[in-house]
Amino acid sequence: MKRALHSLEKRVILTLKGKEELSLEDLRKETNLSLDHLRRAIEWLRLKGLLSIRREVFIKVKLDEKGLKAHFEGLPERIIIERLKEKGKASLKEISKEFDRDEFSAGLGRLKDKEIIKVDKGEVILLRDSVLEEEVLISKLYHGRYLQELNEREKKILMELKKRPSFIKEEEEAKIYVKLTEEGKRIDISLEREIDRLNPELLITGKWREYSLRAYDVEAPVSLAPMGKKHPIQRVIDEVREIFISMGFEEIEGPLVQPSFWNFDALFIPQDHPARELQDTFYLSNLESKNSGGDYREIIAKVHENGAFTGSKGWGYKWKGSEADKLVLRTHTTAVTINYLAKYKPHNTKIFSVGRVFRNEKVTYKNLVEFHQIEGIVVGKDVSLRDLMGLLKEFYFKLGLKEVKFWPSFFPYTEPSLQSVVYYGKLNRWIELCGMGIFRPEVTLPFGIKEPVLAWGGGLERLVMLKHDIQDVRELYKNDLNWLRKVRLCL
Amino acid sequence: MPVVTLYFDRILKMLEGKVGREELINKLPHLALDLEEIQEDHIKVEYNPNRPDFSTDYGLARALKGIFDLELGAPKYDIQDGNVKVMVEDSVKSIRPYIVGLIAKDLRLDEESIRQLISMQEDLHHGLGRDRRVISIGLHNLDVIKPPFIYKAVEPSFSFIPLNENRCMSLRDILINTEVGLKYGKIIKDFEKYPLLVDSNNNVLSFPPIINGELTRVDINTKNLFLDITALELKAALRALSIIASVLIDMGAKVERIEVDYRDKKILTPDMKSLLMKIDFRLINKLLGLKLDKDEIFRCLRRCRLNVVKKGNAFYAEVPPYRVDIIHPVDIVEEVVIGLDLERIKPTLPEGANVGKRDERSSLLDDFRMALISQNFVEVMNFSLLSKKLLYEMVNREFSDGIKVEDPKSSEHEYLRDTLIPCLLQVLSNNTHAEYPQRIFEIGKVFLRNSNEEPVREEYRIVVAIAYSEANYSEAKSSLSSLLYNTFGLDFETKPSFHPTFSYGRCASIRVDNEDIGVIGEIDPLVLENFGLKVPVSLYEFSYDKLEKKFKARR
Repeated sequence: MKRALHSLEKRVILTLKGKEELSLEDLRKETNLSLDHLRRAIEWLRLKGLLSIRREVFIKVKLDEKGLKAHFEGLPERIIIERLKEKGKASLKEISKEFDRDEFSAGLGRLKDKEIIKVDKGEVILLRDSVLEEEVLISKLYHGRYLQELNEREKKILMELKKRPSFIKEEEEAKIYVKLTEEGKRIDISLEREIDRLNPELLITGKWREYSLRAYDVEAPVSLAPMGKKHPIQRVIDEVREIFISMGFEEIEGPLVQPSFWNFDALFIPQDHPARELQDTFYLSNLESKNSGGDYREIIAKVHENGAFTGSKGWGYKWKGSEADKLVLRTHTTAVTINYLAKYKPHNTKIFSVGRVFRNEKVTYKNLVEFHQIEGIVVGKDVSLRDLMGLLKEFYFKLGLKEVKFWPSFFPYTEPSLQSVVYYGKLNRWIELCGMGIFRPEVTLPFGIKEPVLAWGGGLERLVMLKHDIQDVRELYKNDLNWLRKVRLCL
Repeated sequence: MPVVTLYFDRILKMLEGKVGREELINKLPHLALDLEEIQEDHIKVEYNPNRPDFSTDYGLARALKGIFDLELGAPKYDIQDGNVKVMVEDSVKSIRPYIVGLIAKDLRLDEESIRQLISMQEDLHHGLGRDRRVISIGLHNLDVIKPPFIYKAVEPSFSFIPLNENRCMSLRDILINTEVGLKYGKIIKDFEKYPLLVDSNNNVLSFPPIINGELTRVDINTKNLFLDITALELKAALRALSIIASVLIDMGAKVERIEVDYRDKKILTPDMKSLLMKIDFRLINKLLGLKLDKDEIFRCLRRCRLNVVKKGNAFYAEVPPYRVDIIHPVDIVEEVVIGLDLERIKPTLPEGANVGKRDERSSLLDDFRMALISQNFVEVMNFSLLSKKLLYEMVNREFSDGIKVEDPKSSEHEYLRDTLIPCLLQVLSNNTHAEYPQRIFEIGKVFLRNSNEEPVREEYRIVVAIAYSEANYSEAKSSLSSLLYNTFGLDFETKPSFHPTFSYGRCASIRVDNEDIGVIGEIDPLVLENFGLKVPVSLYEFSYDKLEKKFKARR
């Protein structure tokens, strides 16, 4: 009969085979299993009816305090005999020296009973010298003996020894014996061989029963399993996106290449503004947009020149269409925002974007030429700076940043403008994150947007750096596989 | 951002000794100032470029006095008419037409006040002056020159001793052989004649916008000052002049007007007249979300050193001429914010419900991202601007018609990528020390020339690379099949193709509905060698945008 047996069970069966019965202790020695494993295997086999257990209680007899003393120093009887040996006889007084009175008289009495000595008128006479049976038993009990191991005579002597105080102690000890049941004996486990791994053939044919698996060093170190992973920047993009959506914002997306019109002019950034210069902004060589801004060109020209109907004084210079047609790599996502607002003129909306922006800067530990910007926009009849501050607080709260401070600031296309700093507990300092403000009338009115437009934005890489405790922003784009593979998902 | 240096001994004295160091430092953010550096005896403070009046410690002290309630309302600046004239010749009209200026008498200069003046001059040159193109400023010791002064254009061969030189140099020579000449020469070098400011003895005051004459050098012994600003735009020059005049008065000088004679008209400068800007109470409370009464608003404005005047039924803020940032009633709103102290504005959330929504494309792209991640690919992220070498040479492509940016700071970021392949090979190249197999991908935009109105078309691409000793074509194709099948459920064909980056015979075009959407294959050993790669690499790149179109057409 074939039965599915665990390799532990097999080992036990193989060991017991051909033997009548083994104690647990002997079984452990022969199987070389830990006591815990062995107990488990025995229990499983017992439940399957393949093995039976016998429990036997033994009384173990050992020497107690006085018994041990007698073992090392001799019984009082022995001491008396030794003292008599020299002359064959001695006075009672002489041999009782340094003796406990009771022990002495008991010993003397026993020697008399055994007719080894006789006492005559205060004198003790040694009749013969022989090894006492008690002495033989005591040395036998020195390592402890089961009661069963003693013969009847010894048992009798033991009874005598037990009468002496603190001489003998008895302990109960249970011993487990196992043996195969008849069914167990019939189990056919052929000679087992160790194998390294299972294979389909072994499993299909059931031949695996003939083998045992080689044991592994389960504590050995291993390499990391390959794991696909999002880039850490992408993970923060996802997190920010989720926050915006949870706050009721709709995502917008737009081109990275923008005519200056949407990147600068539409945002009331004068054409000779330093930010528009080659050393700050990437212009595309020999490529220009045509008629960028379309119908809005005329009004934007006037707003820049004298403010037109916006209530502004304007910048007081001559606006050039050719300047507005120059193509740039967008310096902020606001280029896409204003284009969207001009197109849809929403009275009430919440939109956001997360995307790449570009600056013609020298790459350093804190500056990159390309990075990601996050931007949130709210348009509404009654929205105010207070609301903007509230939105920012909520936004930061969802990012896990609970303390926020606001300061006045400046951005060319918002008024009033604020800067926010948040407390970052891990570093124990305040960190500047997002700037914000309300779009200037010179920005909104030309496009027919009558409601206030709240805007906030900031760099995304900063957040990624904080999360991963990175000081040099260049690290984020190094794509060091060792780092990408090890970087933790949960922070 | 421009920086102003504040020495504690000076600034605390300007604040009448009523403000302590810590108090000062803590107040700076309330004026939109950033503390850049703290030293034992001074601090460096960054200010926003819209406030050129913050370019000296005098200017900052003026604003701080308001915020610390030491002085409220606009400071009064009295200016007398002087008797210095500047004659402007027609010859400068087409080159650098405007000049304005002032006289400052009874100056008591020391090293630090001169340093402050020079730092202000530099900041104004850079900001309002757009790097001296629009305006440039010259400071002169009045006592060594004789008015009236003449502003004219002269031949490039004209020569004089420029500042910090010990020899006579021609104007042409100055443009070629001095540091400032090389830096700012481009502003005038295309003209036949160059502008020059001389006194009545033809002694040179300055060669604007390049350099002053050595003759009129200003030092701590200078008692009386003549200052000129030459400009392309009169308005910008007058603004800068007001800022400088207010600082000189704050320094204790007596400032006098000069007369500039343009032949067709005469003007007196500086003009310290204030501008009136309407105080729109409704706008203020609406934008701030508050209910401030008139008096509160007035107090805020006075703390920002503005006066409040009533004209008819309306109230106006009287804006001193050095406040060049105030051009719209909305700018008054910000003054209220600064004067109010932001702590008093309690954040709220806007009313009304909006439903959040993710951009469809960003969510579809994420499906592709997750599909690749479940194939054990690690996402990488690279820049859009690459070097010519990486984008063409390294991947064995012939250079043609790349989209390039002007004047990049580094040639590493010069060409907009039209393929993501070089980026991925670069990543593999930087990671030869990391364990193989390496499986990476990137999702990003490429930039292509376009014949329509917008000359650049952007397209999302997906690129995937496998690198290890057994990497091969079939494994890449199998990954691609699984990706396309599990996302859009699209079938594709691979047709033999040639691509310079891939090995001949082991490269195919990826085709969906007979349209070419990408390339797949094993990288040519020549290219592997260029990148220092010692294992085979199989790779595929396709246009996500084209694929999405196919998907939507079928849906």
